[in-house]
Amino acid sequence: MAEWVTFSIAAVVCWGIMGLLQKLTTNYISADSVLIWDRVGYLVLLPWLLGTSHLNNMGPGDILIGTLDGIANGLGAWFLYASLENGAKASVAVPLTALYPLLTVLLAVLFLGEKPRPLQWLGIALAVVAGALMSREAPAAKHVDEKL
Amino acid sequence: MFEMSNRNKRGDLIPNVKGLPKWLVYALLSLLWWGIFGFLGKIGSDRVSAAQMQIFLTIGALPLVLGCIIRLDFKIATHKLGVTYAILMGVFAALGLLAFFAAMKSGTASLVGPVTSLYPALTVALALIVLKEKVGKAQILGLILAIASIVILSL
Repeated sequence: MAEWVTFSIAAVVCWGIMGLLQKLTTNYISADSVLIWDRVGYLVLLPWLLGTSHLNNMGPGDILIGTLDGIANGLGAWFLYASLENGAKASVAVPLTALYPLLTVLLAVLFLGEKPRPLQWLGIALAVVAGALMSREAPAAKHVDEKL
Repeated sequence: MFEMSNRNKRGDLIPNVKGLPKWLVYALLSLLWWGIFGFLGKIGSDRVSAAQMQIFLTIGALPLVLGCIIRLDFKIATHKLGVTYAILMGVFAALGLLAFFAAMKSGTASLVGPVTSLYPALTVALALIVLKEKVGKAQILGLILAIASIVILSL
């Protein structure tokens, strides 16, 4: 199995558990509070990450990209919550935002010169549609699927 | 496709933004930022390690946390169980990001992005097993398509 597949499956497992915990936590606290406390979870890992990483090989450009990625990630979550607070139905807004990999693919093809094969395009299309379908609210569920 | 609602949960009327419902504008902005997140994740992962990316991603999200604290007027929920679940959620989100950046380093963004976005498959399965939630037809179809896409992309 290709290395990227192994790591991708690991990400899917972690985020899948995250999704379950999100369902559980929103039974008790508001979305705004979840956004605050879940970032505390990120901070929990920080000492370990800092202890195992050397930052002296990073240039200003690297730091800027990592930081901007954090801002983009946070804004994605924030705008989804803002959408829900402004009248969006979760069954519509969440699947709509789940289409975000389409933009990532588009940017990667346009700016990074990636060229998926025809069969891979089919797999990409199926994955994006599957993600949107699975993000639809189940009959009895009232939660927000946050990506991260 | 979109159900137009111009009222929030409190029933207040929300003005449109250039003819579009405000919620739709926000949802599209969410999609935009997450799309950019995936793209920047690839650029960053090609340059530095997954751990280094995660460190600065964590720092980058802190202003948003501050914004939320101010929005809540410093009245943050302290329900013990809710907070515990939320912190655990953050730990798993961060671990997932580490794996995501590692995948981006060895794979292409056009494959890693769509495959990792299939994580609701596991959430749906866990919700079915742990929470005994009902699974809708759309989710079952999504699960089937997710499996098909993973098989195709693994070829």
